[in-house]
Amino acid sequence: MSFRPSEASGEILSRAASSPSAPIVLISDTSFRYAHDDAGAGPDNPSADSAAPAPTGTAPSTPESAAPSELALSHVNLTIRPGETVMLCGQSGCGKTTVTRLVNGLIPNFFHGSLAGSQSVCGLTNGTPAGSGSPVSPGDADSAACTAPVPIEALVPLVGSVFQNPKTQYFNADTTSELAFPCENVGMEPATIRARVNDVAQRFNIGHLLDRSVFKLSGGEKQRLAVAAATMLNPRVIVMDEPTSNLDATAMRDLHDMVAALKRDGVTVVIAEHRLAWCADLVDRYVLFENGAVAGEYTTAEFSALPPQQLESWGLRALDLAPYRAALRKKTGATGVTPAGVTQSGATSSAEPSGAAPSAKSLDASTASSTGPVIDSASRHSSAPETTHHSSNINDVPIIATRDLVVGYQRAFRRGVTDLALRGGDIVGLMGRNGAGKSTLVRTLCGLQRPLGGQVLLHGKPAKPAALTRAGFLVMQDVNYQLFADSAREELLLGLGDAGDAIRQPVEVTVAPSNAVRSSSSSATPLGVSVRGGIIGASSSATPHLHPATLGEQADRVLESLDLLPFAERHPMSLSGGQKQRLAIASAIMCGKGLIVLDEPTSGLDRAHMMQVGTLLRGLADQGKAVLVVTHDEELAALWCDRIIDLDGNAPATNKENS
Amino acid sequence: MTNPSSASSARADSRAGSRSTSQRGTHSGVRLDPRAKLYLLLLANLLLFFHVDTRGEAIMVALFLLPLFVAGRWRNGLRLAVLYFALLGLGLWSDAATMSGSGGSGGSLIGMIGGGVTDTAAGSSGTTVAAEDVAATAASATDAFVTAGHVAGLLSVGIRMMMPCLITGAYAFTTTSISEFVCAMRRMRVPEAIVIPCMVVIRFFPTIVHDYRQIRNAMALRGIAAGRFALVRHPVQSLEFIIVPLLMNATFVSRDLSVAALTKGLGIAGEHTCMTVIRMCWFDWAYMAVCTAPLALAIGGVL
Amino acid sequence: MTQQPTAAPSPAPAAPQPTSAAKPGRLAIPDLISIGIFTALYFVCVCVATLVSTLIAGAGTIFLPAVAALICGPVFMLSVARVGKFGGITVMGVVIGLFLFVSGHFALSFVASIVFPLAGDLIARIGNYKNRVTILIGYVVFCYGLTGPILPLWFMKDAYVASLEARGKSADYINTLFSQISVGSFFVAMAAILVCGLIGGWFGQRILKKHFVKAGIA
Repeated sequence: MSFRPSEASGEILSRAASSPSAPIVLISDTSFRYAHDDAGAGPDNPSADSAAPAPTGTAPSTPESAAPSELALSHVNLTIRPGETVMLCGQSGCGKTTVTRLVNGLIPNFFHGSLAGSQSVCGLTNGTPAGSGSPVSPGDADSAACTAPVPIEALVPLVGSVFQNPKTQYFNADTTSELAFPCENVGMEPATIRARVNDVAQRFNIGHLLDRSVFKLSGGEKQRLAVAAATMLNPRVIVMDEPTSNLDATAMRDLHDMVAALKRDGVTVVIAEHRLAWCADLVDRYVLFENGAVAGEYTTAEFSALPPQQLESWGLRALDLAPYRAALRKKTGATGVTPAGVTQSGATSSAEPSGAAPSAKSLDASTASSTGPVIDSASRHSSAPETTHHSSNINDVPIIATRDLVVGYQRAFRRGVTDLALRGGDIVGLMGRNGAGKSTLVRTLCGLQRPLGGQVLLHGKPAKPAALTRAGFLVMQDVNYQLFADSAREELLLGLGDAGDAIRQPVEVTVAPSNAVRSSSSSATPLGVSVRGGIIGASSSATPHLHPATLGEQADRVLESLDLLPFAERHPMSLSGGQKQRLAIASAIMCGKGLIVLDEPTSGLDRAHMMQVGTLLRGLADQGKAVLVVTHDEELAALWCDRIIDLDGNAPATNKENS
Repeated sequence: MTNPSSASSARADSRAGSRSTSQRGTHSGVRLDPRAKLYLLLLANLLLFFHVDTRGEAIMVALFLLPLFVAGRWRNGLRLAVLYFALLGLGLWSDAATMSGSGGSGGSLIGMIGGGVTDTAAGSSGTTVAAEDVAATAASATDAFVTAGHVAGLLSVGIRMMMPCLITGAYAFTTTSISEFVCAMRRMRVPEAIVIPCMVVIRFFPTIVHDYRQIRNAMALRGIAAGRFALVRHPVQSLEFIIVPLLMNATFVSRDLSVAALTKGLGIAGEHTCMTVIRMCWFDWAYMAVCTAPLALAIGGVL
Repeated sequence: MTQQPTAAPSPAPAAPQPTSAAKPGRLAIPDLISIGIFTALYFVCVCVATLVSTLIAGAGTIFLPAVAALICGPVFMLSVARVGKFGGITVMGVVIGLFLFVSGHFALSFVASIVFPLAGDLIARIGNYKNRVTILIGYVVFCYGLTGPILPLWFMKDAYVASLEARGKSADYINTLFSQISVGSFFVAMAAILVCGLIGGWFGQRILKKHFVKAGIA
């Protein structure tokens, strides 16, 4: 009742001292299933899951959704010794996040469900102790589980946690308070807290981040602060749940250095990730999860000896990004202006390094080139891309082009952008470090913001922001803001037709879609998405005043082409992250937009889902849309983009020289 | 439990101290303890409750404005001061207008101004009333003018009454950091069930602003309720389109925040300390006394 | 040593425990955080209502609570659906009152924002936070908690009357001057809260059913 963590940790320390080599985390024969009525487990892990109907770890939110009884973990055994750095990897929904929640006590304290087996963290044991001999099956989980679960409060001084989304893991509005927060909660003296804050700031070299508003920090800075905050109580274990999913290369480098510092100090680090490259040199052991079970454990040597194709087949991201970076460099610099004959002295910057190759050891491209993955976006064009590609932009006028564009905000920020042109059928990647002006440029292209100078040309003619807003669409990183209706079909019909009357009318779904569409959807790939031609004709003729029934038919066709038809009546918010993303894109298609911009569409996605997004982009481009992808994801950019615009090597100075 | 050696902690402490003073330096000047601020707020409310005469009110307002200037909030303080004295002037004018009316407009206007001047100059209500009574007998009021005078009077008296509260509120709001506020609440034994939601409210405001902008952008891109007057023309639908994503996001954020807070020990029983130290020093007590005295005198009718 | 006692370090204000086995009726940390977030949204709605009521009705800030009642329905309904424990509505009101007080509103508004939400909470509890009717009535009562900020308007009038009296105006004169303003406007404002509360609450419940129940969130 009157539990004080300081006493508990003292007790634990003494217990641990008695057996120094004892495992710090011991998970034995553990099974877990999320309780569906629990709001806490709601639409879980928003970006991670995609087309696969309700992956494990994602509690399906509606009763009719598939597989409610799927286990998030089944009979998992895992031992982590003090001082180890362990990487839990596997596809989305494989159970790695669930394991991190077991370690930091969120299961069973916050995420409820039926838990079986025993879990011991730093000597605090949940459930039946290992070796007590009671065979636990998921069926009798309820009875076997946890007579007295370890309260999460007991684990606070022992386990530090870092989560995926840098925006929402802060409880305080300023950085220093956030660092002090755990110490305040355990009741330390103010002077001690201040000393601790300064120590930690010095240790991780984040002194410049103190006394600032957390809302003014970049994503990378937020994540560094999160790691620092997790270490405030000197925990013995740090758990990170996909810490890099929103980070650029530099920020990942910083995070790497922090993990290295933790490892030096003997802290046990458990990382759940599918991006492997950023801390490959720190990890002692890889644990591969598949469908809620441990599929294999590998030492670093064993793991790095595996061929990249093997990792791909497990749905993991590349361990070595060098080949991707090489491919990126080749694609960078082509501004796309040249073919149109506009004044342009050529893509000169293609020889420049992309500026995102931090680790010298990963530059060893010789081995990679022999076994490396096929990195050529041309090879991933759909079967007959050339015809559609060319027919879609006959007159070869770029959908969007810029001339002497200067973007920025009135006082705060200002930069020039080298002239660029986006054509139908192109997938263009927009890269650059945080703060390079990517999102400002994108907002300007979509007309959400006025340019400070220069022009944006829409189909060759200078356009006002309002016209750009009508022509372009931005799929935001957080799609939740973009979905308004109460069902997927309504979502597509929203805003079409005049005001509300067309929306309100129930749409008769007596559609006989064209053969092409039907065949393509029935032969849907395992990756789930296939966008083929067939919608183009309909959608490009989408005038806002069609008869409601016609609109309804068209909406169904668009939904079908994106494999969303089975979910037409579902509420958009009950869909998975990937489905929401596709629904937003579907609404853009429905509005007949020519330019589709995606902001970080693959953040937090495993390889399979990243490839799925790539396929989707290809499909959009093949429909004649101009596709612009803002991304830090080097794999996505290298595999799927036709060209890369790198804002880091794209300075206003060169802009002037060229013109 | 994990205390570093005392020497290093002391050194680090001094460093922390220097940093926090330098941070304070940006706000500059002496600041009252949050609890003293709260006391001033209470005094301001008492002022509103008991109708104190104009002179007492002016003294109190001056006393309430002083800390704003001391804390270095010059612009804020000046704005409030100007507003107050403008209202005071308006009130005096309306007194004159409603009392004197306007028979021969020129003369009475002069009388009014004269009345106002005597009022401010002499500052004693007795002479003013006398002067106005003279003016009032001189001319009978035209209705419109009197009504305007009454409206102005009602407004000026009304808003002026609110001013002490607004001034102290502005002072409390602009010069108190969140951690000080939280610390003050904990010191005053406010239950955690109130403290935690307060922290969350402050934490969540910027997120709401950010979310709202994103939602408006998304609506513009979709052509839903686009344009300046769309919100007015379709209020119900617009409200739905804005508030539903806001609430959806709020539920997601509440889950993530809960997770973050639980893993950082917000649920730990027992006293939660605060890194920020707040202390009532002699200055706070002295200022509280200085402010209480004239109020008590004014309420007591002595002043 | 279970979660329940440690998670709620201090009892909710005036929270007797109708502890059912399934859902312990005590506010835990996640509940408090949810309440905080909904309170922030509610506060923003109140600010919007202030803006709207001053823009539309000029000096008609007396309709502030009514306008707020009109637009805050969804926030209230979702918070009741998500928290569903005694104390939630009360805490929401108390925190709003605290913020109003600290930002310089009249202290009496603080009292109003404790009493009415508490009453609303008690009413909603009758239906165990499930019954639509009791929640709706609770919402209407809750809305009266915002009358605090407009109460000084009547005080202002009194102050002005006092200042007129001090200058020797006759009681008749004063009475004719304020006959319509005082009683009439008071009842109109209170009735407006009732009507707007019903409309807003109904709208909130409709939104709740249309979106949040369907999405599996509420």
